[in-house]
Amino acid sequence: MSNRLTRPETLTALGIVVVAAGFLVPAAALRPISALLPVAMLVGLIGLSVILLISDQRKAAAGEAAAPMSKSPTRVAGAFALIVAYAVATDLIGFYVSTVVAVPLTAFLFGYRNPLGLALATVIVVGAIWLIFDFGMSQEFPAGRLWAA
Amino acid sequence: MYSELLHALPEVIGFSNFAAVIIGVIAGIVVGAMPGLSATMAISVLVPFTFGLEPLVALGLMAGIYNGAMYGGAIPAVLLRIPGTPAAVATTFDGYPMAQKGEGGFALQVAVVSSAIGGIASAFALMLLAPPLSKVTLLFGPSEVFWVAVFGLASIIFLLGGNPVKGLISACFGVFVSVIGADPIYGTDRFTFGQLEMLDGISIVILLVGLYALPPVIDLLETPLKTDGVESSKLGTEPIWKAMPRMKGFWKTWLRSSVIGIWIGILPGAGGSMAAFMSYNEARRSSKHPERWGEGEPEGVAASETANNADTASALIPALTLGIPGTAVAAVMLGGLLVHGLQPGPMLFRENPDVVFGFMWQFLFGAILLILLGGSLATNSFARLLNLPRPLLGSVIIVLMLIGVYSIHGRMFDVYLMLGFGAVGWVMDKLKFPLPPVVLGLILGGFAEENLRLALRIGRGDWSVLFQNTTSLILVALTVAVVVGPIVKRRMIDRRKHAES
Repeated sequence: MSNRLTRPETLTALGIVVVAAGFLVPAAALRPISALLPVAMLVGLIGLSVILLISDQRKAAAGEAAAPMSKSPTRVAGAFALIVAYAVATDLIGFYVSTVVAVPLTAFLFGYRNPLGLALATVIVVGAIWLIFDFGMSQEFPAGRLWAA
Repeated sequence: MYSELLHALPEVIGFSNFAAVIIGVIAGIVVGAMPGLSATMAISVLVPFTFGLEPLVALGLMAGIYNGAMYGGAIPAVLLRIPGTPAAVATTFDGYPMAQKGEGGFALQVAVVSSAIGGIASAFALMLLAPPLSKVTLLFGPSEVFWVAVFGLASIIFLLGGNPVKGLISACFGVFVSVIGADPIYGTDRFTFGQLEMLDGISIVILLVGLYALPPVIDLLETPLKTDGVESSKLGTEPIWKAMPRMKGFWKTWLRSSVIGIWIGILPGAGGSMAAFMSYNEARRSSKHPERWGEGEPEGVAASETANNADTASALIPALTLGIPGTAVAAVMLGGLLVHGLQPGPMLFRENPDVVFGFMWQFLFGAILLILLGGSLATNSFARLLNLPRPLLGSVIIVLMLIGVYSIHGRMFDVYLMLGFGAVGWVMDKLKFPLPPVVLGLILGGFAEENLRLALRIGRGDWSVLFQNTTSLILVALTVAVVVGPIVKRRMIDRRKHAES
């Protein structure tokens, strides 16, 4: 039974129903004409997700196995975590410091281990960004909230 | 009508605008040559960087990338049997066997010449067909515009194939995202939860980068592709002018495949891969030696590459005139137009003729430049790109995504929002929810709502105003046909299969 409920499509459909129903609460406070399109879309999402849920459960009942979403869930989770960590680090300690660490670290963790190549790539990427965006276009990047405080 | 087309030409051949097309074509070939990266992703990453550029420079880059990537996909397809883009799958059928025989260089030359011919034909189709269509759409009022938006959404959902329920969910999600922010008439907040950053609505660029750029990056890191490198023996390249006489028998295939590609491009929901497959099948059917196909027949490469480039500019015919993109790349390009304040639709031709006609010229120049930039020497260099380590490529793209999204408003909030959309996009991608309806929903949702409310105001709240003229009724009928047509077709096929069994 638990297997049937942990199928990716079933979980996604349930997730959509919960989130869309949650959005219906603030929608109730809107003027009818302002709420028309958002409510129609939210109700549509709920209805369609229920159809998706039923169709996926029928497949489960017929013994059809659900295809896994990823061949390597650990690598996917690691990639997401690294990207989020990079964004948070940029916010907190600044763009250049985070990028100098993130570029070689990501490449190293995901299989590229040549130290010279990593160093060269980091220098080229960070140098090109500084030259084009900072120096050439006067683009300001996050300096880091920690240093600003 | 066509005088404005000539009027736009001097603008396009200016240094910066022309250089943008050249850079775009080179970047497009590079992106297309990398398995896992696509024109859609490249343009999504590029769009935020074009904010400060002149519209024609930005559009030139996009046109160049689109043309370049469609050919670039042929490089790994021929040399490694890995299509660089989905549209290059049919190119592997004969391209790879040619490379095995030591004719990889010739296969790539056939691909580049055929891509250029397809692209040129497509650009001419855009130039000839878009202006008259835009004149017709100028007659549309708010209710017709509302129905055009509904038709656009319906056609993308139901003609895209696959599961219509998933297509509808994607579209509902896109339309819902479009209503976040201040109400267009009353100015009240909708679903901003007190976040001032969301008052202006969600920028299409954030959605594009999240949906189209993040999932491929995750894929690059998830399965680092181990290519065996490109051996020089597989290329056997000779100068392109020496190879041209060997291609003179391909003219019928070029002509047929161009027509197929243009037609598929105009149809909403179809795309380069469908054009390439159809064209390959047709060319094989009319060949005198169909038994040679699949074993290294250069005409097979010509058929597939002509068609997948012939659908590039033609996909913009409905996109520029009606705001309905024919392909995912065209949907992303609409986003690119919007960030420069250019609303796709009939008014685009009236208010910005130099930009829109200039864009058409850029498509033509991009296609011609393919031969010069993707010729023998360049092809050798681009082929070496396949040896670049994927994890390194992924980490560089992550940095570019962050810079691009941050530079829109100079705030990290947008970056976090992009990551959220990226996570949603990855799940959608894995569960085979189509992504173009989300983008189209975001573009057309607000547009449809504004025009619906305008029509209702004109009709003093009377909903029958939406059905009061012939154009609206034709658009309603077309929408119904688009929704019901595939269902009827599927039923008929099922019935036939049942009867046969």
